[in-house]
Amino acid sequence: MSPAMAARSPASGVPWTTYLALAPAVVVLVLLLVVPLTATVYLSLSPNVLVQFEGPGLDNFAYLFGKPYYVDVLVRTLRISFVTALIVLVVGYPAAYVLKDLSERTGGALIIALTFPILTGPLIIVLGWMILLSDGGPLIRPLVRLGLGGPWRLLGTEAAIVVGLVHFTLPFVVLTIYSSLKQIPNDLVEAARSLGAGAAQVFRRVVWPLSLPGVLSASIIAFSLAASAYVSPHYLGGATRLTLTTLVAQFILATYNGEMAAAAAVVLLAIMAAIIFLFTRAVSRYVR
Amino acid sequence: MTAAARIGARVFLGIVYVFVIGPAVVIIVDSFNAATSFPSPFEGATLRWYVGLLRHDEFVASMRMSAIVATLAAAIATLLGLSAGYALIRHPPRGADAVATFMMGPLFVPQIVIGLAMLQLLGLFRVQLTLAGLVAVHTVYVMPFTLRLVMTALARFDFGLEEAAHSLGAGRLATLRHVTLPLIRTGLVAGFVFAFILSFVNLPLSIFLTNPQTATLPIVMFAYMESRIDPLVAAVSSVVVIAAVAVTFTLEGVFKLRLLG
Repeated sequence: MSPAMAARSPASGVPWTTYLALAPAVVVLVLLLVVPLTATVYLSLSPNVLVQFEGPGLDNFAYLFGKPYYVDVLVRTLRISFVTALIVLVVGYPAAYVLKDLSERTGGALIIALTFPILTGPLIIVLGWMILLSDGGPLIRPLVRLGLGGPWRLLGTEAAIVVGLVHFTLPFVVLTIYSSLKQIPNDLVEAARSLGAGAAQVFRRVVWPLSLPGVLSASIIAFSLAASAYVSPHYLGGATRLTLTTLVAQFILATYNGEMAAAAAVVLLAIMAAIIFLFTRAVSRYVR
Repeated sequence: MTAAARIGARVFLGIVYVFVIGPAVVIIVDSFNAATSFPSPFEGATLRWYVGLLRHDEFVASMRMSAIVATLAAAIATLLGLSAGYALIRHPPRGADAVATFMMGPLFVPQIVIGLAMLQLLGLFRVQLTLAGLVAVHTVYVMPFTLRLVMTALARFDFGLEEAAHSLGAGRLATLRHVTLPLIRTGLVAGFVFAFILSFVNLPLSIFLTNPQTATLPIVMFAYMESRIDPLVAAVSSVVVIAAVAVTFTLEGVFKLRLLG
């Protein structure tokens, strides 16, 4: 919230109706999100068919971290999310930079086009990637026909998951960086130029530092979207490339082990909380 | 920028957009593909998959179910967002920032975990899976979007107009109805539409919470795609893609409203 907003009315004169108006949303969020998550945390500490102990205890987590198979799932989730965030920033920053300098009309239309993948949702888009990346699909088949090698497999690899996630997160990242670039006053750029700075120097000394908060929040968005994505890992990675989200689903849908699903979910939440915390601290250092 | 650099920048942007739009184009093209095996090269155009879609009872019923869930979730979330957003902007109480941050919380919980948590809460109390549980998670998930759009609209709203209405004798409700709501209408419409779309296309929230009677479109697609991928799902997907594009352009054209960005 902007400081102006907070300054508008001192907290002392808040009418009781404000609390009344705020209450429904807060109550809904507590009852339908906080309480259910508490149930999940409770179950993650409970014994089950796979791990037997006198609950509540941390044995489910010890079990998960003790099996190389599950450690692989955790490491894969982190690796995929970091690689996705990195690629998306490297591609998204220049894209946002070019978009920023386009005319109102063209730029506006292109920004709208960027929202289509968000609005259609990942399930529908992933179908397109399954077609494109399949063995007989339009990307691999021509290469094999031309005798350029292969046959390659793309579906069922981590690379395929990353392609899907880069596609899924790119619009969010471009939009975030775009709006932070738009907020840089043109006067600053002009001033730097009139003082003799070249294009590279203007970028390195003025634009880049000022866009850094946007870049950092875009990183948070990219990482958390990638780590919490379910559709891309499920369809493009498959059963041999599980991530924490698909592991949660497998525990429920395949083995119906709610306690282990809860433990995997808690691990995922903990990772995301840690990453978001670290990034937010980095952001606040620059925003000051 | 030199001419070469400018051309390079445009080419780069073109490649990015081919990447962004590509998969949707592939789906739409393949939904007209006459070939029966999948994926296969284009073997002539046909509309039979769209006819097949209309005759596929499960897909049709699930679209209806998705529309019901999305309407309920978006409506509830818009009302809650309006109420909370008004409270946070009009007379920000102590800790308003913290409350606003808390309200954005659902964005940072993976959707599959939101669904899992609801499943487990219902399980602990031995409550059957019903439409209510499904609508509940969808509402929680879309509320940050409706709240944020209401808050953006209210931040630009001149509250002096409310005082003017008061001094002219309008009561609280009359002021809200005739002054405030009409002026923040775009924020409300944008919030509702965005919430509706996000709920309509969402899979991970619903994955643990549906039964055959409450299966939404993404759930039926999910089940279908486990066994086979054919132009029929491409046709279903194309309908959603085209609907999303149409909604975006309608909002932009009629309301001068952009959902994002």
